[in-house]
Amino acid sequence: MDRRKFLKQSSLASSLFFVPSFVKAFEQVASSSLGYKRLVIIQLSGGNDGLNTVIPFRNDLYYKERPTLGIPKNEVINLNDELGLHSSLMPLKRLYDNGYLSIINNVGYPNPVRSHFRSMDIWQTATDSNKFSQTGWLGRYLDNYGKQPYNVIEVDDTLSLALKGENINGIATQDAKSLFNLLRDPYFKNLGKHQNDAHLSEHNLGYLYKTMIEAQSSAKYIYETSKTVTSKKEYPNNKFGNQLKTTAQFINSGLETKVFYTSLSGFDTHVNQLNAQKRLLKIYAESVEAFVEDLKANNTFKDTLVLTFSEFGRRVNQNASVGTDHGTANNVFVIGDNLKKQGVYNNMASLSDLDDNGDLKFEIDFRTIYATVLNKWLVVDDSKILNRSFNQMNFI
Amino acid sequence: MKVNYIQHLYWRAGFGILPNQLHALAKKKKEEVIDGLFENSKKTTPLKIDTAEIDSILSGETKISSENQKRLQQLSREKTIDLNVAWVNRLINPSELLREKMTLFWANVFVCEDNNVVYIQQFNNMLRQHALGNFKEFVNAVSKEAAMTKYLNTKQNKKQKPNENFARELMELFTLGEGHYTENDIKESAKAFTGYSHNFNGEFVFRRYTHDASIKTFFGKTGNFNGEDIIDIILEQKQCAKFICEKIYRYFVNDALNETHIKQMVDVFYKDYNIETLMRFVFSSDWFYNPENIGTKIKSPIEFLVGLNVLVPVQFNNPRQLLYIQKQLGQTLLDPPNVAGWKGGKSWIDSNTIVLRLKLPSILLNDAYISKTELGESDDMMAVKKSAFKNTYGRKFKIQHDWETFNKNFKDVNVKDLQDYILLSELNPEASSYLNSLSKVSKKEYGIQLMSLPEYQMC
Repeated sequence: MDRRKFLKQSSLASSLFFVPSFVKAFEQVASSSLGYKRLVIIQLSGGNDGLNTVIPFRNDLYYKERPTLGIPKNEVINLNDELGLHSSLMPLKRLYDNGYLSIINNVGYPNPVRSHFRSMDIWQTATDSNKFSQTGWLGRYLDNYGKQPYNVIEVDDTLSLALKGENINGIATQDAKSLFNLLRDPYFKNLGKHQNDAHLSEHNLGYLYKTMIEAQSSAKYIYETSKTVTSKKEYPNNKFGNQLKTTAQFINSGLETKVFYTSLSGFDTHVNQLNAQKRLLKIYAESVEAFVEDLKANNTFKDTLVLTFSEFGRRVNQNASVGTDHGTANNVFVIGDNLKKQGVYNNMASLSDLDDNGDLKFEIDFRTIYATVLNKWLVVDDSKILNRSFNQMNFI
Repeated sequence: MKVNYIQHLYWRAGFGILPNQLHALAKKKKEEVIDGLFENSKKTTPLKIDTAEIDSILSGETKISSENQKRLQQLSREKTIDLNVAWVNRLINPSELLREKMTLFWANVFVCEDNNVVYIQQFNNMLRQHALGNFKEFVNAVSKEAAMTKYLNTKQNKKQKPNENFARELMELFTLGEGHYTENDIKESAKAFTGYSHNFNGEFVFRRYTHDASIKTFFGKTGNFNGEDIIDIILEQKQCAKFICEKIYRYFVNDALNETHIKQMVDVFYKDYNIETLMRFVFSSDWFYNPENIGTKIKSPIEFLVGLNVLVPVQFNNPRQLLYIQKQLGQTLLDPPNVAGWKGGKSWIDSNTIVLRLKLPSILLNDAYISKTELGESDDMMAVKKSAFKNTYGRKFKIQHDWETFNKNFKDVNVKDLQDYILLSELNPEASSYLNSLSKVSKKEYGIQLMSLPEYQMC
């Protein structure tokens, strides 16, 4: 917690309450008066081609390596003299113009893995590329700083590894009502009663019981809180648009959820990339713009930070099928109000200094972004969650 | 053979066992029971749906018109649903039980999907054919399947422009595991698989002019290797046998690996890569029947659904609902999440899937009703609640459940012993005392109570 925030919060609280055991309860009081910081993650699954998303349109090497796949200069939406956005990203350009967007270039990790599954695992678990973890970084956030599965919600039908903790998992829901209705039967309430810790810690069966009990209380809370609000904003009519619409409804209802997880898939463009990526980026940008406007209308945008990533970028050189193969470093988008560094955060990767596979060499470890968000936005001890300390960046 | 051991064996090699067969097998020796399982799976019965219209489009022309291309995609989408349903029905009523369970297992090792149903059906039958055969022939067959050359882009892998996708996943996910090869091994072996392709009918075609016949260096060996040579060299690595044995152990024995058991399995498998020999070894070993391995695995969604059907047969009037349930439970056959397949174990279960699993038996089989009648009371709520559910959801959710078959199969089982046939794991003490406070209204109602427990998720 920085000094300014600390003073603001402590001046609100009666000094009597300011003892460690009350800190948590106090934080909840403070949340309603000061604004409750929330993080929204957008995962672009399949490996989005970052070089055709944020385009180095002055770089001859770019067009040399991508003779039929490079985006022509006249189609690029210029950001500055060097970089521009894909033509589908006009809505994102508007966010950029308002100072709501920070583009972090060349994000990756040491010894990159080019398999979707592994690289997604690495991003979701925040481990070194040669280490395996059964828990995700948001799951560990929940382990350390959460109480209930609903503190971290995946707005989908199924739960990703990122939201799975050692002792507690997040919850996935796109439809709070149907989830709630499913567990109302007293039979399950009675099964969950009187359970003791010894049985709940048994390997697989104990895990089943524990998950059942947590699901019961979470489903009830999410449904009863979120039903008070409906969004009036129009979103693009597709799965991703609906995910963000539900997320906005959850946020605007005041649900005590710190992190929302959403995803858009289909970015694995080995073959005929141009049309596929154009369509997907359009879905992404239009939905995000609607989301930001919805939050602004409800005065919740200032307390929401949106982070967009993909498990890897793609190879600089196009392949024989007018597509690209799995690569390494990529760009990350941070969207929010009052960003400390707006616009383009750092320079593009070099296209001439590539690794042995012909891939970009990363400059920023993605975990420094996680660490910054954990520390400065969610105000928790990032090293406890990432199991190691990373440098802090200054985009927020 | 002990009743409990037979139940365990049949849950791992199949999807549970009914009282009659169980008591018949209990009179036999362990070796005989295991022999019977393999004897029964000698044959291979391919899974075939009607694809006549697609076949005629695929074989009629040398080039498919864009109109036919559209028709093909539409037909394929519809037929893929049929194939999914046919596969689930096959698992419920298998002619070769173990072969079908193995096919399901291999489908999550050699993960593949395709939008052409003819190719994916052919791929599925290739899995079935090799499921208990020789692993080397198996891997070669996988590498030459039309669906696989499409899925992992071997088709696009050409001498001038190699595509490494298949070479990478072959080693990472199919044979060796992450960290047991170098990036250079991938580059070199990708060259060896150049030229692998297929014709419209889905037959393997080797395109000589796109094949890279140059000298390659792979795992320290140098030569003019082709794809088959690469697979030979991979299988020479003991790590390959270990990798597959670990997968088998996790799936059939326990999701926590035991190094001693794995080592024994590797010694058996590495000799000739015969899958049947390996499975016989596993099912015959004493440790397979250790208490820590019985009733301690979390059922996969398909094991859960199929096992439920073995107890009480269910038919969906609209097959899309069966697919919807698979999706919600986290495992839609023919639609894996990615090339790594489903992770299994605890990852099947989260707040969402546990809710659905606990509710599903009562929803599918008993109009969403679970009796909570206390001892000595009569169940007054049942009729009202069931008809209320029927009135609200009956039209949307059209299913036929066959309790007659259940009653016939459990005719000679006393209601108080039902637990021993439906649950494999020990009852949690609190759940047990709650159940004991309730009245066993009927075999059907008690059966539903048992199937609505976390314990029913275990096998």
